[in-house]
Amino acid sequence: MADNSSQLKSDAIFEQMKLHLTTDAGKALIKNIGLVYQINIAPKKIGFNEKVYVVDLKKGDCKEGPYEGGKPDATFSFKDDDFVKIATGKMNPQIAFMRGAMKIKGSISAAQKFTPDIFPKPSKM
Amino acid sequence: MAMRDLVTGAPSCGEPSSSSNPLGALANALIGSSSKTQERLKEIPTSVSTSSNGNFLAGSQEPLVSLPGSEFEQPLHPNIQGSQFLQGFRSADQNRLSDVWDEIQRPQLPFAHGSQNMTNIPLEYARVQPDLNGPPQQVLSSFLHSFVNSSQRGMPFRPTSLPLLGLSEGDKQCIRDRSTIMARHFFADKGEDFINGQVNALLSSLEIDTDARARGPVPGRYPELEEYWNESQAMRPAPHVADGWINEFAQNRVEHADPNAWAQSYEQQHSANGWASEFEHEQSQLGMIGQMRGANIPNLAAMEQTRMLAHTLAQNNDPKFQNSKFLQFVSKMSRGEITIEENQFKPATVAPGDWAAEYEQQYNGGQSWADQFAHEELSRGPQGWVNEFSAEREQHGSVNDEWVNEFSKLNVNDWADEFGNQVAEGAFGETSADSWAEAYDEYMNEQAALKQQSDASRGVYVFSDLNPYVGHPNPLKEGQELFRKGLLSEAVLALEAEVLKNPENAEGWRLLGIAHAENDDDQQAIAAMMRAQEADPTNLEVLLSLGVSHTNELEQQAALKYLYSWLRHHPKYGSIAPQDQPVSFYHADVSRLFTDAAQMAPDDADVHIVLGVLYNLSREYDKAIESFKTALKLKPRDYSLWNKLGATQANSVQSADAILAYQQALDLKPNYVRAWANMGISYANQGMYEDSIRYYVRALAMNPKADNAWQYLRISLSCASRNDMLDACDSRNLDVLQKEFPL
Repeated sequence: MADNSSQLKSDAIFEQMKLHLTTDAGKALIKNIGLVYQINIAPKKIGFNEKVYVVDLKKGDCKEGPYEGGKPDATFSFKDDDFVKIATGKMNPQIAFMRGAMKIKGSISAAQKFTPDIFPKPSKM
Repeated sequence: MAMRDLVTGAPSCGEPSSSSNPLGALANALIGSSSKTQERLKEIPTSVSTSSNGNFLAGSQEPLVSLPGSEFEQPLHPNIQGSQFLQGFRSADQNRLSDVWDEIQRPQLPFAHGSQNMTNIPLEYARVQPDLNGPPQQVLSSFLHSFVNSSQRGMPFRPTSLPLLGLSEGDKQCIRDRSTIMARHFFADKGEDFINGQVNALLSSLEIDTDARARGPVPGRYPELEEYWNESQAMRPAPHVADGWINEFAQNRVEHADPNAWAQSYEQQHSANGWASEFEHEQSQLGMIGQMRGANIPNLAAMEQTRMLAHTLAQNNDPKFQNSKFLQFVSKMSRGEITIEENQFKPATVAPGDWAAEYEQQYNGGQSWADQFAHEELSRGPQGWVNEFSAEREQHGSVNDEWVNEFSKLNVNDWADEFGNQVAEGAFGETSADSWAEAYDEYMNEQAALKQQSDASRGVYVFSDLNPYVGHPNPLKEGQELFRKGLLSEAVLALEAEVLKNPENAEGWRLLGIAHAENDDDQQAIAAMMRAQEADPTNLEVLLSLGVSHTNELEQQAALKYLYSWLRHHPKYGSIAPQDQPVSFYHADVSRLFTDAAQMAPDDADVHIVLGVLYNLSREYDKAIESFKTALKLKPRDYSLWNKLGATQANSVQSADAILAYQQALDLKPNYVRAWANMGISYANQGMYEDSIRYYVRALAMNPKADNAWQYLRISLSCASRNDMLDACDSRNLDVLQKEFPL
């Protein structure tokens, strides 16, 4: 927490995702999707100083660091801001892809299931 | 010629010398006769021939292009596109083949198959019924001619009974396939039913069952391509198509013990990413020109990749491969004459003229590495690559998207990435082209909207267009009154009128900011509060609001800055904050200061509120909940405090508790848009999408400008499988939504 330089807005979303996966709605995701996504978040520019998250919708886990159980079904790369926009439904993943704001590696069919729906929405104070 | 090749299927359809190949004869008859038709048509340029033979002949009269690769250098021109496309179906030595055909057929069929005799055939057959006596070969031939004739007269074909012809399974399949293809040509202007009727009549006369099994893909809009497909399918040994290619593939496997070998060696040579990065470079260049519209990029990428492929293949000096349809096909694709849409190959409909030219220019620079690639490829023995590839192609020929998948497996990731999306979407049963088009429209709309939004996101306040309160004698008082009544959107307008009149009125800006925050619009709230802070830099409420709004927007540094300022400017706690303002803020330092403050004055609700916000920032939700609960004991009627508690509980997945807290807030302030929206979020996060929709709609009914709520509503609608209401959501039609989802 104390390390400001590595603070990303996306951290909050992944943290909430981790909690979300323990709820019934989160367990439904595991049942419906059952895929492992790796998400690389860059503070400013895709490919630089990326922080790696794995959203494991097979086991129901969300944590920092590369996937250890083999190869993720799909890997995405975002800028921090763009990922927040996508997770909160402000940006359509297809548009993000067209703009180059989202890079995809891996199975296309797995990537298709990556939608804003899977992320819990942050509530506002 | 091309038509003849198409119809006869050239060498692949059985053995050319086989005595039972009446279709060659039929093709001869057809092409011979249509040349006459064409002559007639020359006088009437606008009339359309019943068959498309005119096109084919026009194509074949042009000089041959020796190498498919050299076609790249020719500038594309829209009006020769058609003939170029058709040229692709012809190859050099097929001329010779046709001649051989004629030779073979002539002695066997004395019935006037030489092309010099053909001119009068249509007339003859218009008058004379087919002669159905004689040896089987002749019977069949004349029978098929009568079929062709019926087509030229546009008459329905009547089945006739024929003597036993003794056709083999292979013959039957040939006839079935070719007659279907030809019928599509003849009756291009007629419906599918008519075509099927004609063909079925023909086939039933010949006792060929009309099982669609072997007829290839479902008929669609692109007859040329279907022919192509049908042909390539007929190339396989019939009737056991599957066995055929399995054998062939197995053979290839034996030859190249490891099917991945070439992919690996390619990687070794090019360090896996060489091609990809080069391609990315090219693509970014293209992007910068900005002349290609976004939607073209996937096709462009596909073209780029196939161009490479075609170029490479063109370097291959194996004459057999040079003439292969696949090479022709790839070179078509590389020039954009065939695009892939909805899992079907189709000729490009838009004349690619100018942007193709543009692209051509751009491309010149990139030629060298493609050459290099081709060179290296050659030195490694081109056969393996090509064989392997065509084996794969053979294997997957019938399913377009499998072809693509196969390709993507071969580490050509960019190509697959770019347009694989389209294909994969098709695999999900959606019309990918449509959704991309939609997405593009959305993108354009978004671009327009962004112009406005970017102002707000840069902290510039965006005023409403039409404001009835402008000119009001005392808009601040009016605004305060409206805010107190809970009419937030009206209050916003009145307060805007106030700050337009008195831009330095901190109270006007502050209340405006609060109204926006309660209306669930943090961007505008931040913009208004920043103006308030300019006017009054030490206002504690303003500083706290800014801290909260930035926390909501997940902007930690900004939030810490304002919360720290709150402490520094507080009359009681200012002393514990260090006098020199730090350059950057550390959460631990700031929260330690507030913990000290809370010890100094445990009964000050405000300190606990700030602590709660700070713990939200660090996502220590349990501590945050404690702080807010403490504050609520001191200020039980603060509706915004109840909402803060609820939001914290929701973010730490205690949605059920959160809903209770929101309910408290709404009891105190029924028009609290943010709490309504938060209710929706909590239901949605619990997977109760139907309920969440009702709350979002309620929030939007009170503030239709709450963009977040619209976005969340859209997600919930699609999660609840209420796609029928997406249009209403996209057009922001609240009447429809409220009627459908009453609360």
